[in-house]
Amino acid sequence: MKNVITNIANCLLNLVAAAGALAAPPGNAARPIDFNETIRPILVERCIACHGGVKQAGDFSFVYPEMVLPPGGSVIEPGEPEHSELIARVRSQDPDLQMPPPGEHGQQLTQTEIEQLEQWILEGASWGEHWSLAPLAEPKYPSHINSSWARNGIDAYVMASLESANLQPSKSARPAEWLRRASFDLTGLPPSSQEIDSLDAACKQASTSEDLDAIYAATVDRLLASERFGERWASLWMDLSRYADSQGFEKDPHRDIWPYRDWLIHAFNQDMPYDLFTIKQLAGDLLSSPNTNDLIATAFHRNTQTNTEGGTDDEEFRVAAVIDRVSTTWTVWQATTMGCVQCHAHPYDAYRHEDFYASLALFNSSEDADLNSDFPTLRLPNDPAQWESAVKLQRELLELELHRNDLGSLLAQAVSWQPLTPLVASSSHGQIAASENEVKTTGGTFPIGTVFTLETPSTAMTAMKLTILPSSDDPQQLPEQGAIVTFVELIVIDAEGNERKLELQDAFADYLAGPYSPQDCLKSDNRGFGGYPKLLGPRWVTVVLREPLMAEENGTLRIRLEQKGEVAGSLATHLKHIRLELCNTPQWNELLDSTELVHMSQAISAAKIQLDETPGIQLPIIDQRDPRGARPTRMFIRGNWLERGEEIAAGLPAIFSSREGTTTVENRLQFAQWLVSDANPLAARVWANRVWATLFGSGIVETLEDFGSSGTPPSHPALLDYLAWRLRHTHAWHLKPLLREIVLSSTYRQCHTASAELLLRDPHNRLLGRGPRTRLSAEMIRDAALTISGLLAQDVGGSSVMPPQPEGIWQTVYNGEQWKEATGNDRYRRGLYTYWKRTSPYPGFLTFDAPTRDLCSPRRIDTNTPLQALVTLNDVVYQECAQALAKRALLETGVVEEAIGYMLSQLGTPTEVRPLIQSELQSLYDDVTSELAKMHTAGEGSEAAVSTDAQNSGTEPTLTLELRALTVVASAILNSDLMLTK
Amino acid sequence: MNAGFELTVKQLQAQTRRHFMSNCGMGLASMWLASQADGAPAAEKKQTSKHMPHFAPRAKRVIYLHMAGSPSQLELFDYKPELARLDGQDCPQAFLEGKRFAFIQGVPKMLGPQYEFEQVGEAGHWVSDRLPHFKSVADRTCMVKSMFTSQFNHAPAQLLLHTGNQNLGAASFGAWVTYGLGSENENLPGYIVLVSGGKVPSAGKSVWGSGYLPSVYQGVQCRSSGDPVLFLSNPAGISDAIRRRELDALDRMNQLTYQQTLDPEVMTRVAQYEMAFRMQATATEAFDLKQEPEHIHRLYGTEPGKESFANNCLLARRLAERDVRFIQLFHWGWDSHGAAASEALNEGFKDRCREVDQPMTALLTDLEQRGLLEDTLVVWGGEFGRTPMRENRGGKEMKFVGRDHHPSAFTVWLAGGGIKSGFTLGATDELGYEAVEHRVSPHDLHATLLHLLGLDHTRLTFFSQGLNQRLSNVTKPSRIVSELFA
Repeated sequence: MKNVITNIANCLLNLVAAAGALAAPPGNAARPIDFNETIRPILVERCIACHGGVKQAGDFSFVYPEMVLPPGGSVIEPGEPEHSELIARVRSQDPDLQMPPPGEHGQQLTQTEIEQLEQWILEGASWGEHWSLAPLAEPKYPSHINSSWARNGIDAYVMASLESANLQPSKSARPAEWLRRASFDLTGLPPSSQEIDSLDAACKQASTSEDLDAIYAATVDRLLASERFGERWASLWMDLSRYADSQGFEKDPHRDIWPYRDWLIHAFNQDMPYDLFTIKQLAGDLLSSPNTNDLIATAFHRNTQTNTEGGTDDEEFRVAAVIDRVSTTWTVWQATTMGCVQCHAHPYDAYRHEDFYASLALFNSSEDADLNSDFPTLRLPNDPAQWESAVKLQRELLELELHRNDLGSLLAQAVSWQPLTPLVASSSHGQIAASENEVKTTGGTFPIGTVFTLETPSTAMTAMKLTILPSSDDPQQLPEQGAIVTFVELIVIDAEGNERKLELQDAFADYLAGPYSPQDCLKSDNRGFGGYPKLLGPRWVTVVLREPLMAEENGTLRIRLEQKGEVAGSLATHLKHIRLELCNTPQWNELLDSTELVHMSQAISAAKIQLDETPGIQLPIIDQRDPRGARPTRMFIRGNWLERGEEIAAGLPAIFSSREGTTTVENRLQFAQWLVSDANPLAARVWANRVWATLFGSGIVETLEDFGSSGTPPSHPALLDYLAWRLRHTHAWHLKPLLREIVLSSTYRQCHTASAELLLRDPHNRLLGRGPRTRLSAEMIRDAALTISGLLAQDVGGSSVMPPQPEGIWQTVYNGEQWKEATGNDRYRRGLYTYWKRTSPYPGFLTFDAPTRDLCSPRRIDTNTPLQALVTLNDVVYQECAQALAKRALLETGVVEEAIGYMLSQLGTPTEVRPLIQSELQSLYDDVTSELAKMHTAGEGSEAAVSTDAQNSGTEPTLTLELRALTVVASAILNSDLMLTK
Repeated sequence: MNAGFELTVKQLQAQTRRHFMSNCGMGLASMWLASQADGAPAAEKKQTSKHMPHFAPRAKRVIYLHMAGSPSQLELFDYKPELARLDGQDCPQAFLEGKRFAFIQGVPKMLGPQYEFEQVGEAGHWVSDRLPHFKSVADRTCMVKSMFTSQFNHAPAQLLLHTGNQNLGAASFGAWVTYGLGSENENLPGYIVLVSGGKVPSAGKSVWGSGYLPSVYQGVQCRSSGDPVLFLSNPAGISDAIRRRELDALDRMNQLTYQQTLDPEVMTRVAQYEMAFRMQATATEAFDLKQEPEHIHRLYGTEPGKESFANNCLLARRLAERDVRFIQLFHWGWDSHGAAASEALNEGFKDRCREVDQPMTALLTDLEQRGLLEDTLVVWGGEFGRTPMRENRGGKEMKFVGRDHHPSAFTVWLAGGGIKSGFTLGATDELGYEAVEHRVSPHDLHATLLHLLGLDHTRLTFFSQGLNQRLSNVTKPSRIVSELFA
C-alpha cells in the first residue's frame, strides 16, 4: 500500500515538474510545415501510386528521399520551389507535363496543397522520418493540465486534447461500473457481487480522494495478482500467435500445442518483461542453454499450419509457414505490413523487395519441413512434474548424437578415399547408368521400394562412402525432391558364386539433420539417410564394416541400395545421382572399438529407452538446423517460390540496419534482441497501443496491425509515446504496472454514459471524453455466463477441452477425429481452453467475431448480429448457465422476488435502473409461470418445441415450475446488453 | 478501423441517430444492417448497401454448386476421341517435363475416356452417359471448357477458386457479393452454405469465410438435419409464446440501459434480437422441405431429413425464392484417383454422378419454370481438372482406375442470369491436357460473375493490410469474359 501511495505521489510530482518546465507557450509565429503532418499525406494520396515502391515511373519514388532530393535526385531543389521539377509539374497546364497526368491518374493537387509543397521546399524540404520510426524520446508533458482531474500523465495528455476540442471529461464512473470494466480488462471475468458490494462500501467510507484512490489501487493490485490475469492476456496473445489445436488445411489433424498456451498464461502471470517474452518466443532455442520453458515458448512459431493433404509439396508449405512467420513477426511486434514486400518493394514505406528475404533468411533454417509428424517436437510426459527431466534427457541425447556422429564425420574427412567404380549397374525400376564412380537415373519411373544393384570386383575395404547428389547442378533449382537410401547392403560373391552378406556396424554422416538418423540406412524400413523431405545439396554417409573386407580373387562386391522412402502422397524419395568411394584404413575399426564411441552409443540407447518408456505428448518446437545444413535463402521473383533469384543474407531491412546504434543482426536471436532494443522504437509503441486498444476498444492508432503510411495516424501521438516510454523505460517492459497506471487513470475511470453532445461531437470516443463501453469478446461472453451462474471451473492450464456444441459441426474430410463432449468440470472451463480446430472452430466463438486463427489476427472487429442473439438465447451452454443461475439464486435467497434481485446484483446493475428492471423481470416471471401452468394443463409439458440439438443439453426436464420460470428470467439476464458489455 | 469500414459505420450512425427512436429496427455499427438485411425504411434503402450495383445487373443472386475433389472433365463434358486412341500408351515426355503432379511420378500411361459420350440438344454439347438427366437441360447451360488454375492440391485450389487467393485469409466470393450488394431478405442470412452429408470441403470453412472483411459477411453454414441455422430452435420447454415474452422483457431491459447510457449500440442489439426472433420462424419455414408437393420431390429425388445433395438443391431453390443473395452447395467425393473403390472412376465416380445428375437437372428445370433462372446465376464445377494420364501412385499401376489432379484444364458450366445458353467457350488440346483457346482463370471467372451481378471487380474493394483488397487479382489483370454473356 505504501508503494502505491508513493507511486501516485511520484506521478503527481512528475506532472507538476513537467507542467512547470513547459509553462512557456510556443511562439505564435507560423509553424514550419511538418513533413509527416502535411507533405507525406499529399505524396501518398497523389503521387505514390506511380512514383512509389512498386511502380517507379520516371525511375524515382517518393518513398525514398534520396531519389528525389539532391545529390541523387533532381525532383526537388530545397529552398527553391521555383526550380523544383515537382512544383513545375503540379502547376503545369500542359497535358504532356502536368502531374498527376490528366485522365485516370487521379485528381490534380488543390491550390492549398501546391502552396504547402512550395512552402515546405522553401523552408528547406526537410524530409521527416515516418512518425512511427522516430526515436522514442523521454516524454514532455502538455503545458495545460487540469490538475484537479488528472491523476497521472495519461490524463494530462487526454485533458489537453479534450480542451483543444472544447470538451470536458465525463464524471467518474460509479465504483461498480469501473470495477466491471477493470475486472474484465484485467482478468477477463466479471466481478462477484461481493466484490462489487465491498468496493461500494469501502468507497462510501472513504473520506478523502487519497483514501478513495488507495481503495481503487488495492483493488487493481488484487486483480493483477489473480491467476485469471494470465488467462485473459494469454487469450489476446493466442489470436496473435494463431494458436490452434490442429494443424490446418485439409485433414486438419490434432496437434499437441497446449503447453505453449500454459507458457503464455504463466508468462503473463509472472509479468515476464516484454523483452524476455519476445526473445524466448522468437529464439528460445538459440539461448545459450535453453530450459524447458524456453523451448516451449518457441512453439509460438509452430502454430503455423502443416499441410498433410496427400500429394502436396512439403517445400511449398514449409515456405508458406516461414513466410507466415516473417509476416506474423512483423505484424505482431512492428505493425508493419511486411507481407506487401513478398512480391515487390513496399508501395508506401521504405521496405525493399530484398528486405523481405533478409527477414525470411532469419527464419529459414529451422528444422521443421511441413512433415505430418510436425517434426521437430519435444516429448513432454503426461505428468508435468517430469517435463524438466525429460527435456534435459532429450537435449543430452541430441548432444550425444551430435558428438558421436562428429567422431565419424571428422575421421571421414581425415582419411583418403578411392573411387569405387561399378561395372554393372541395374535398377529394379526405371533406367540408370554408371559413369566412373557415379550413378545417375536416366529415365522411367522409380516407385517406392526401387533397388539399385551395383557390382564391382571385390576389393579390400573398411568403409564405404555414399554421396547423394542433386540431379541438377544449378543451385537455383534447389531444393529438389528428397532422396534417401533406406537400406544399404554389401554382399560378397566368391568365384564359385557363393554369396555372403557383410555386416555393417555403423554409419556416420556429414552432419545430422532431418527426422532420420544415419544409422537408419542400416536396416530395411522406410527411414534412411539423405535429404528428406527435400534434398538441399550433396549429402554423404560413411558405412563402416564390422570386419575389414579382404580382397578376394575373382570375387565380386555387390552393393544393394534400397529406396523405400516416401513423402505425403506416396511420392518416392528415390536416389537420382550418387557417388561411391571406399576406404581401407584400420582407423575405422579402431573408431568402432574406441571406448568413447562405445560409451556414447550405450548412453544413447539408454536415453532412448528411457524416453520411449515415458508416455506423453509431442510439442512442435523451433529448432535450428546444423549450420552445415543451413538453407540458403533466395529471393522469390514476384513472390513466386518456384522462381528463385539471387541469394540473400539474413539481416534487417535497410531502413533499420542503417540507423545509428543498430547492432549486427544475422540470426533469429540477434533479431529478437534488436526488436526489443532501444534502436527499434516500434515494438514499444505497438505493444503499448495494443494494450490500450484492449482496454479502450480501439487503439490510439486504430490500425493495430499497420503503423505505416497506409495505417491511421495516432489520435494522441504524445500519449502513445508517453505510454511506450513508460512501458519500455519506467516499467522495464513490465505489463502489470502499465496496466495499473491506465486503469487507475481518471481517463479510464470516467463514466461511459455518452451525453448527447459528446455523442454528436465524438461518436467513436476518439477524444476519450467518456469511459469506454465495449462488447465483451467471444470468450468473455461465455466466461461471464459461467461465472455468474457459478459453473465456471477454476483450474488453470492444461490440455484443451470440448464443451457441448451442436452435432454435425465437426466433420472434416479424411479425418476420423471426433468432438467428444466433455463431462463434469471440463464442460465449464474458460473459453481459452476450448478445443480450437482451424477448419471448424467452436461456432459460438466464431459468431462473436473470433477469428479462425489460420493466420495472425491482430485485431478483432466487433459486430452485432441476430446470429449472436441465437447463440446466447439457445446454445446449450447458455441454457445450462441460465438454469444454474436460477438454481443458485433460489438456493441463496429462498424466495423468487429476492432471487431476481440476487441475479441482477451479479451484473452490478446500475442503481438508477435497477428497480425498473427488477419489476420488469418480476412480471416476466409471473407471466411465464402462468404460461407454463397453462401448457402443463394442456398437456404440452416440458417437451414443447424441443429441438434436436437441445435434447443433448443435459437440462433436466423435471424442474419445478418455479425454477423453470426463473430460468427464463435468468436467460433474459444473460442476454441483456448489461451482461454482454463492459 | 480502416477508411471503408469506418465510412459504413458513419453512414449507419447518421441514419441511426435520426431513426432509431421512430424505428427500432434500425441500429448502429451493425454491419449486419449494412450488408445482410436491407431493413431500412424505403427512403434509406439506397444507402444501406455500400456499393449497390455499379451498373445494371443481369443476375440478382448466385447458386454455386461446387463439386469438391474435382470431377473428371474427361468423363463428363470434355470428349477426347484421340485420348481413347492412345489409351494405355506411355505419356509423351513433353507432357511431363517441368511438371509437378500430386501423385503421378515417373512416366504414367495415357487413359482414354471411360464412358460413352454423345452430343445432345440443339447446342450439341458433349455429355457422357453418366449424366442421363442432365442431357435434357444441357441446352440451358454454357460450357466453359478452358478453365485453368495454378494450384494442384485441393485446399489451395479451393481457396483460389472461392477467395481469389490460394493462401488462407482472403474473403470468399459469397462474402464479397453480400458485402457489395447486401441481402434482400432481412430474416435470413444473405450468404448460405449447404454441404452434402455435413462434410466440409478440403480447405474447410475458410472457403466461405469473410477473411479480412468483417465477420458478418461470412457464409452461414445451414443444415438440412437438426437446426437449419445453428441454435435456431428454442431450448426444450420454451414455447414461442414464452420466448416472445422473454424478448419483450429483454427489450425493455435494454431500452432502460439505453436511456441510462445513451449507447446507440444497445438499440442495435434490441433490433438484432427482434430479427433473430423473426429468423427463427422464417428460417424454419424456409428449410421445411415437407412443404413441397410430391411431384417436386420426385423431380429432385429428395427425401426430407437427409443431408443429401438432392435436398440441398431443393433448398437452394427455396432460398433463391426467398431472395437469399448467395447460395453455395458443396458436394464431395469427386477426387477420383483410383486409390480406393469409393472414389475410382470405374466405381465411386458412378455414384457421385448419380447423386448429382437428377438434382442439378431438377434445379435448373425448377428455377426455369418459376421464372427464377433469368436472374439467378448457376455455376457448377470443381477446383481443378483431372489428368489425361492414369494415376500411378507410388510409381505403380493401381487396382482401380483414376486420374490425378490437373490444374491445366477443367470444365465449368454456367446457367441463368445473363449467360448465353447453349454456348461453349474455349477448348482443350486434342488430349485434353491443356486449355488452349479462350483460357479462363478463377480470377477471370470472378470478374465475369461479378460483372453479371452489376459489380465492377476493380471497384469492389476493401482496404486491409496496406492494400485495396479485391476478389479479382490485384497484380495481374482479370478479364471479363464477355463472350459468355447472352
